[in-house]
Amino acid sequence: MIAETLVVERGVSAGDAWVTIEPANVKSALQSLKNDGFRLLVFLTCVDHLVDTSRTWPARYELVYELRNMETKEQLRVRAFVDGDPPRIDSVHDIFPPANWEERETYDLFGVVFNGHPDLTRILMPDDWVGHPLRRDYPVGGEVVEFSEEHETWQTPPPDA
Amino acid sequence: MSTTAQGVTITKTGEQGAFGGELLTVNFGPHHPSTHGVLRLIVDLDGEQVRSVKPVIGYLHTGIEKQMEALRWQQGVVVTDRHDYLSPPINNLAYALAVEKLMGVEVPPRAQALRVIMSELTRLSSHLVWMGTSGLELGAMSMLMYCFRERDTILDMNEEISGFRMHTSYIRPGGVMADATPRFFEMLDDFTHTMPGHIDEYENLLTMNPIWRSRTIGIGRLSPEDAKVLGASGPMIRGSGIAWDLRKSMPYSGYENYDFEVAVSDDCDCYGRYLVRIKEMREAVKILRQALDRLPDGPVNVDDRKMLPPPREELETSMEAVIHHFKLFTEGYSVPPGDVYVAVESGRGENGCYVVSDGTHKPRRVHFRSASFVNLQALERMALNHMVADLIAIIGTADTVLGDVDR
Repeated sequence: MIAETLVVERGVSAGDAWVTIEPANVKSALQSLKNDGFRLLVFLTCVDHLVDTSRTWPARYELVYELRNMETKEQLRVRAFVDGDPPRIDSVHDIFPPANWEERETYDLFGVVFNGHPDLTRILMPDDWVGHPLRRDYPVGGEVVEFSEEHETWQTPPPDA
Repeated sequence: MSTTAQGVTITKTGEQGAFGGELLTVNFGPHHPSTHGVLRLIVDLDGEQVRSVKPVIGYLHTGIEKQMEALRWQQGVVVTDRHDYLSPPINNLAYALAVEKLMGVEVPPRAQALRVIMSELTRLSSHLVWMGTSGLELGAMSMLMYCFRERDTILDMNEEISGFRMHTSYIRPGGVMADATPRFFEMLDDFTHTMPGHIDEYENLLTMNPIWRSRTIGIGRLSPEDAKVLGASGPMIRGSGIAWDLRKSMPYSGYENYDFEVAVSDDCDCYGRYLVRIKEMREAVKILRQALDRLPDGPVNVDDRKMLPPPREELETSMEAVIHHFKLFTEGYSVPPGDVYVAVESGRGENGCYVVSDGTHKPRRVHFRSASFVNLQALERMALNHMVADLIAIIGTADTVLGDVDR
């Protein structure tokens, strides 16, 4: 099992077991869990706790790693709370290869920087996009829709038409 | 130097390949018809051999996870329909199970059986689309006609049970939309009798077809170790000889009560994945038959007025029912704070839903773990050192749905 020295808190949420770790220890914690049989990273994502008053949160961004042991069918959720602008955490793509794209996705949508990632570029949004859409302070409907009646040149037919 | 043809751009890199020629970088897609949507690949070619594949995705990104945060719990179902657009009821099921787990409710047995019926029908229709389009790409053109014939029957059943042919929104937190009609059961009964014959028909067309076999056997090998390390799921991991099926391994919605086998193939190639899907279709018909024969009676929704609207008749006689109705459709219900992950087996693999609630009437965060997104990362491993024409077969049998990849 994961060394008790790495665990900050542990608990069960609606039947799912979880542990919280210090963000600095993410690589060693996930590596030791992998050695213990949690060989599959089911998913990796981030939750933005901006103005969530239902509980007190150690930091604004929560990184979530869901691990599974395919032999015993156990699942464990590992959480790490990070703050900062941009928030930073170590990449785990060398421990779990599927994390490569999921870290890119999390970077793209939340702006979390994964130290040591080989190709940390946008994956879902266009390369020149400004902002990180899944942050809670990113406005919904912020994109301007262009209509042709607002553009004189678009209404003028080409000369040979 | 670069030349452009329909959807393909070719650039000479100037690097020397192993066969005396130069390495070519070919841009493949995103509007290439064989990419099942809008997948773009940047392929390095040495002669005709693939030296590297770099998928570029995001062309179908619709911000589904962001939309979920702006919708109330019961409204979110409509959005879940649309990420993996070939298996809407299975997406609904993952979301509904997650919300129910967080609220601590369990749906009645009849609703569970109806959910299983819809899931299996969807699995069949998803595999039929896969087989039709993959056959079309690899030279078996008639497959598309045969497969879409049966798929249409399934869409007719969707229409009968929910009013919609594709995006059914039939499975909802707390149960299902409504009980199925007698006509639906007649259609389903008919279907379970005719479908095995149709599957034989597909097998006659493909299983021993020399063109199909030479295009798929030994192509796109994915060893069991690689499949595990890369996190592949669904027919991708079962086609590599690992019997991992969430319906058996971690049963949900009463799947433990049905008698079916997990389809596995040790071939580890495109042909193996084809065999897995054929077997899975046969098993799906078996499950449908059992579900229909043992369908329990009773309600199809949880009896909770705080979660689901009261029946129409009650609204005319009970003030309390009117209040509940008003509250549900103006504010919705709230879910206790917490987070939960639920995974179900879709036609493509593990389709999961991670839900975080902050105790309000809208989700704080909904994340979809999509099988296509993870499986697509195995593409380079499968395609390396194959001919460029085999890339079509490999993309085909990976069966990624681009709406599911990009969400």
